[in-house]
Amino acid sequence: MLLVGIRYCGGCNPQIDRSGVITKLKDAIEKRGMAVDFTAERERSVNIVLLVNGCIHACLEEAYLKEGGSTRFISIKGEMVDSDYVREDCIPEIVIKKITETMDSPSH
Amino acid sequence: MSMMTGKDYIESLRALTPEVYFLGKRIKSVVDEPMFQPHIHAAAMTYELAHDPEHEEIMAATSHLTGEKINRFTHVHQGIDDLVKKVRMMRLMGQKTATCFQRCVGLDGLCAVYATTYDIDQKYGTKYHERFKNYLREVQKHDWMPSGAMTDSRGDRSLRPSKQVHPDVYLHIKERLEDGIIVTGAKTHITGAINSHEIITMPTRTMAEEDKDYALSFAIPADTKGVTYVFSRQTNDTRRLDGTLDAGNPKYGIVGGEAMIIFNDVFVPWERVFMAGEYDFTTELVETFAGYHRSNYGGCKVGLADVVIGGSAWIAETHGIGRVSHIVDKLTEMIAMAETCWSCTLACSYEGYKTPSGAYHINPLLANVVKLNITRMVYEWMRIAQDIAGGKIITLPSEKDLAHPEVGKMVEECFYGKDGIAPMDIIRMLRLIENMSVGAGLPEAMHGAGSPAAQKIMISRRSGIDKKMELAKRIAGLSPDKDFERIIGKGEKAHWDQVRRNMQEKKVQIY
Repeated sequence: MLLVGIRYCGGCNPQIDRSGVITKLKDAIEKRGMAVDFTAERERSVNIVLLVNGCIHACLEEAYLKEGGSTRFISIKGEMVDSDYVREDCIPEIVIKKITETMDSPSH
Repeated sequence: MSMMTGKDYIESLRALTPEVYFLGKRIKSVVDEPMFQPHIHAAAMTYELAHDPEHEEIMAATSHLTGEKINRFTHVHQGIDDLVKKVRMMRLMGQKTATCFQRCVGLDGLCAVYATTYDIDQKYGTKYHERFKNYLREVQKHDWMPSGAMTDSRGDRSLRPSKQVHPDVYLHIKERLEDGIIVTGAKTHITGAINSHEIITMPTRTMAEEDKDYALSFAIPADTKGVTYVFSRQTNDTRRLDGTLDAGNPKYGIVGGEAMIIFNDVFVPWERVFMAGEYDFTTELVETFAGYHRSNYGGCKVGLADVVIGGSAWIAETHGIGRVSHIVDKLTEMIAMAETCWSCTLACSYEGYKTPSGAYHINPLLANVVKLNITRMVYEWMRIAQDIAGGKIITLPSEKDLAHPEVGKMVEECFYGKDGIAPMDIIRMLRLIENMSVGAGLPEAMHGAGSPAAQKIMISRRSGIDKKMELAKRIAGLSPDKDFERIIGKGEKAHWDQVRRNMQEKKVQIY
């Protein structure tokens, strides 16, 4: 089972529906029967951190990098995922693709 | 070559032989033409201050390509700090010149083409980005000032570029050759064009498939064969030939010095071509450039405001009304507007983001708000400057009359203010306020980096109005408010039913 730690930015002026995106992501993962679980507990050891930033400025990514987080992360930042521009409705698909790549990687 | 000084820059222009026309004659030497010198001095300031220990922290940067120290006007932003330093540099430059120093257009062109070529290559597997990085290395190495040539003359605005009766109203590819392209057309009101080392062109609007040949970006030396410049007139421009007083800002001029650039069968080698037909990236290039450029105005124009506010306050002081309440109120109004614009541009820089190319871009929504504010507030603070300075700014006698052996002394004495202040100093300051508040600087604030309608389109497109409607619906009770339900510990309907019952029973306690 791959454990994904979800972290949200503060949500001051989000360009996307952050929790809506995550709900759709969880639904899609469940439908596919993927061995993935999610947690919002920051103290738990996880395989991937999913940073959910409401806009492209990505405060949370900045903070995560500053605190020296060493766990692999995927960063949703408004209508971008990592360094790709993505429409809001396509974000869950792109994140699933990235999670799958991690599950398939030899280090996992 | 490392970073040039102001003097080095001026001398470096001598090596170029651009074909420039002004007032009906061919200009043999741009550097030696008195009409152009103030603009050249303003641009030279961008070079000079990079060597000044007092300013190098914001005027210089470290190249991400070479690790060398470079002038910030050739630097592609690598973080939020760079974006913030850029607008600080703009304000400083505005304060030092009280006019347009021209070099930001090329800087924004460099940054916009950098980000866009990366994205084009990701989609099409082209090599534009590597080419552009090679070009950028050259720009940084030689400390070149490229002009940013975006606006075409555009002809009939209701027709697409490819449908124009006169095809040359938009710059386009005329022929594709093995070693390059032949381009033809014109770009208009290009700031700093005649005193730049290079020209970087960009499309002026979104192009469709039929406009492929107009989806074009390249860089060429300013004196490339087939390139002709026609320098534009400005308000009161020939006053600078009448002496040192009447022009108002004889050192640095009035706005940037714009020119139209005519491209007549100009050859551009492929290694200098950064977009040639990728019409689906024209919106990105235009909007990226516009975003960078619009953010600048909250820096440079605020620097100008600092000068005109200071000038207005000095005029009031020297006429004995510096502490009068309506003057203090007006100056305060000017300061508040200027600092509002400054806040906007700082915000759009701090709210910037990393593009896929690695370069950082400003927050586009806020950048457009910056510029929209500028299109209004510059007029307003200049209106107040005129108000404080008084009617003298449009009725001052000429320098020649002031120097006249018979009436000169009498004329000068009419301008005495407080005792101990030389009348000529008062006249000089009034001329500066006239230069800044009456002339071409105002429409430049309106239309430079795009007219207000363009900013409103961008603001509207990026405002997320649907999400604002959702917010209103939640507060009005048209959609569920989960936060409220958590606070009250039950569903909203049950809560309000309870409230109504309590009201009927005249109970105050709800929980």
